[in-house]
Amino acid sequence: MQKFITSSPEETEAVAEKLACTLKGTEIIAMSGGLGAGKTAFTRGLARGLGIDEGVSSPTFALVNEYKGKFNLYHFDMYRVDSWDDLYSTGFFDYQDNGVMIIEWSENIREFLPENHITVKINILDENMREIIIKGIDMSQMQV
Amino acid sequence: MKILAIDTSASPVSAALLCDGKLVGEFYLNIKTTHSQTLMPIVSNLLSSGRVDINDIDLFAVNAGPGSFTGIRIGVASVKGMAMPLDKPCAGVSTLESMAYSLPYSDGIVCAVMDARCSQVYNALFRLDGTAVERITEDRAISIEELEKDLEHYDETVYLVGDGADICFQAFGEKLNVVLTPVNIRYQHAYGTAAAAEIMAKENRLCTPAQLMPIYLRLPQAERELKAKQEKLKKGEMQE
Repeated sequence: MQKFITSSPEETEAVAEKLACTLKGTEIIAMSGGLGAGKTAFTRGLARGLGIDEGVSSPTFALVNEYKGKFNLYHFDMYRVDSWDDLYSTGFFDYQDNGVMIIEWSENIREFLPENHITVKINILDENMREIIIKGIDMSQMQV
Repeated sequence: MKILAIDTSASPVSAALLCDGKLVGEFYLNIKTTHSQTLMPIVSNLLSSGRVDINDIDLFAVNAGPGSFTGIRIGVASVKGMAMPLDKPCAGVSTLESMAYSLPYSDGIVCAVMDARCSQVYNALFRLDGTAVERITEDRAISIEELEKDLEHYDETVYLVGDGADICFQAFGEKLNVVLTPVNIRYQHAYGTAAAAEIMAKENRLCTPAQLMPIYLRLPQAERELKAKQEKLKKGEMQE
């Protein structure tokens, strides 16, 4: 488990960028944290770490956004997904093993995640401060 | 009768051309690309290499499910698109049934299993007598444990096919009389789809392009577990 305290969206992005360097290409990253916690900022940092220059925005309406970088990156938002049927019809299972998947509001589909996923929990400490807890990966093991 | 059959139900993609029961050509790829990019070039190549004009196809067949959500939609939509302007009949074949046609020369039970994730499989059982394929169960979504219990009722050799064959063999391969089929017949091929469609044509089970629909199987157990956990979570939150 790794714990970070950040005091701005930029610092949150930097933590995600560091996580991006440890990925092998097919990980599933399950994020949780309330509205405004910085889940999209975290994803933006992760995308930058994978060499993706495109603007990253929340896929609340599209359900999934796809980006191409060092690996494919699939950015899901499960806010409105709460049944197996819903999840299946997002194509969620078709994306597995084809790239890195990062999931906002993963608490809605927790039971359907494979066992070996990475979790990122963002706690709001005050207006700017965030506590980021990352489990399921050792970030000191950088991939070349 | 000329049948053009396609399969995009899981990670491989394939197309086959069957003319009066004879396999004229088959094209199979299992690479990590989207079927939406590979399928139509494959079909077009198969028809031109096989010297068959698409206007001469009598029946369009597709594995209509179960399987990958996106894959099934690509397959069904493509076949609708080809058959509709020509006003030709279609066969929506069960992916599981198509796999049984890979080994009709055998004697025993074919257990077709596809990995549905969440420890569940899409499954159906078929009995083979060396000539024909007889369906024993409906297409269903069950856990591997339930499948193992069900298979205990059969004395015959059970042949495992499908992309769930490996995980099932690992789970109960030692305990039961099951055979993990070799890779060339383990996964779905469009030939099986065409062979099943030929039988469906004889039995008048074809449909119009408009009637052709994807077949999705639900995962009742996964659904129940999620509902229970969600209720638990809600109660926990209320107590806090």
